[in-house]
Order: sequence, then structure tokens, then C-alpha cells
Amino acid sequence: MSEQINPFVQEDGKKPSCMQMLQIILDEQSTEAQQEYFKAHMDRCMPCFKTYNLDATIKELLKSRCCGGEAPQDLIEGIKQRIDQQRPQ
Amino acid sequence: MEETPRQTYTEQQKNEVFNNEFLPLVHAMYNFAYRLTLDRDDAKDLVQDTYMKAFRFIESFQTGTNAKAWLFRILKNSFINDYRKKSKEPNKVDYQEVETYYNSEDVNRQITADLRVESLKDMIGDEISNALNSLEVDFRTVIILCDLEGFKYEEMAKILDIPIGTVRSRLHRARQLLKEKLSEYAREMGYKNT
Repeated sequence: MSEQINPFVQEDGKKPSCMQMLQIILDEQSTEAQQEYFKAHMDRCMPCFKTYNLDATIKELLKSRCCGGEAPQDLIEGIKQRIDQQRPQ
Repeated sequence: MEETPRQTYTEQQKNEVFNNEFLPLVHAMYNFAYRLTLDRDDAKDLVQDTYMKAFRFIESFQTGTNAKAWLFRILKNSFINDYRKKSKEPNKVDYQEVETYYNSEDVNRQITADLRVESLKDMIGDEISNALNSLEVDFRTVIILCDLEGFKYEEMAKILDIPIGTVRSRLHRARQLLKEKLSEYAREMGYKNT
């Protein structure tokens, strides 16, 4: 297999660690080339594969369990009232 | 966040911006405030204060830019100024260390956490939420902004007034700490993690 160009290498030539690559992928801040590269990398790197699955599961759980609640109605009414008082009559 | 030129809005435009762009974000704002203060009443006060400030400074907001990031930044600053002072939580975190570690060579060594996907899937109660709440507030904040609210690193850097590199290293450390907490819970649930 010919040496693939690593799309994660930064301008200063510094090669990022597995963990740094994984974070960019997990947080969906990667380019398409980076995703391709990381997919191939995971086939060869068991720790990355396991950690990616674990981190992605935690991220999903956080999203589904820790947000989506509604603000209390009296808070919304309170804000509207106080803003009305600030407006010129 | 870089200073934007002051806008001039008519009263009607102000109302439109406030009602159409700011108010619909009240649920996300309340969730953020609650996760920061961990108290329902404090969260309500914090959100209300934030909206008052947003209305007062509305001419610093440019329509078409990211209202959510703008409001979250005001909320975060209000929290630091008004609430954090009151809290007894001392800042014990050595951020320099967090950053140095993130950029060091041996960062990969800790990549395998002793936590398994199967045990996470069985956490159907408040474990995830409690684990998040147990983190020191600066670590909690980056997870809220990234994982709950989906902000990009660049937006987080602006909301928190820190460099992107610091966002990344802090986020990495926060996730490690969260996993440690979740491993604890998994052990309590009787899972052997290894």
C-alpha cells in the first residue's frame, strides 16, 4: 500500500495524535478527506475503533438525556413583561 | 467576540429581533443556565438577566449573525460575574497542565478508557446527567456547548473568550473526567469494565 497523504497534518507539519484526530471526527469538524482517512485508520487501530464507538455513544446519550427540556412558562412571561416595561410608550 | 459596528434599529426592528431571534432560544438558554447553576431558581434569574442585557445591548447585535452564540456568551459572562463569585467552588484546575498534556506525545496512552458501550446503554436513569453535573464548571461548560448544543470549536472559542487550542484540550480533559465518572457508576451497577 502506498503511503497515503495524511489530511490531518497541520500547516506546521505536526502530525496529530490519534486522540486529536478522533476528536475532530467525533465533533463533525472534519473534511471529507479526513473522514476517509480516519475510517481507514480505524481498521488498523483498535484503540481508536473502541474509543470512537464509546465516545460517540456518550455524545449521543448526552444529547438525548441532558437537553430538550422546556423553559418554565412563568420565566417566559416574566421576560416579556419586563421587556414591555422597558419599551417607550 | 470581535466588536461589531453598532446597528441602528427602529423600535419595531428591535421588537422583531427580540421576538423572532432571541426569544425562541429561551429553552436552550434555560438548559444552559440550569446546567451551570444546578439550581432551577438561579437558572431562571440568570436567563432573565441575560435577556434584559440582550435587549439593552441589542444594537451590538448584527442581524444575520449567530444569535445563539451571542446570547450564550452574554449568559456565560453573567454567570461568571454574578454567580460564580457567590459560589464556594474554588478553581482547582491547572489549565496549563491540561494543555501541555493534550499536546504531549504520551497523550495516546490513555486512549482506552475502562468503560464499555454495553454498560452505558444500561444507564437509563440520571447517571449521564449526574455525571455531567459532577464535573467542575469549566469542564461542564465545554461539554454543554459542544455535545448538547452542537457549537463548533470556533464558536466556543468566541463564547468562552479562549483560544481554539484551549477549547480542544479542555474538551478532551472534560471527556476523560466524564468517562471516569461513568466508569464509577458502571462499577456500582456491577459491571466489570475490563
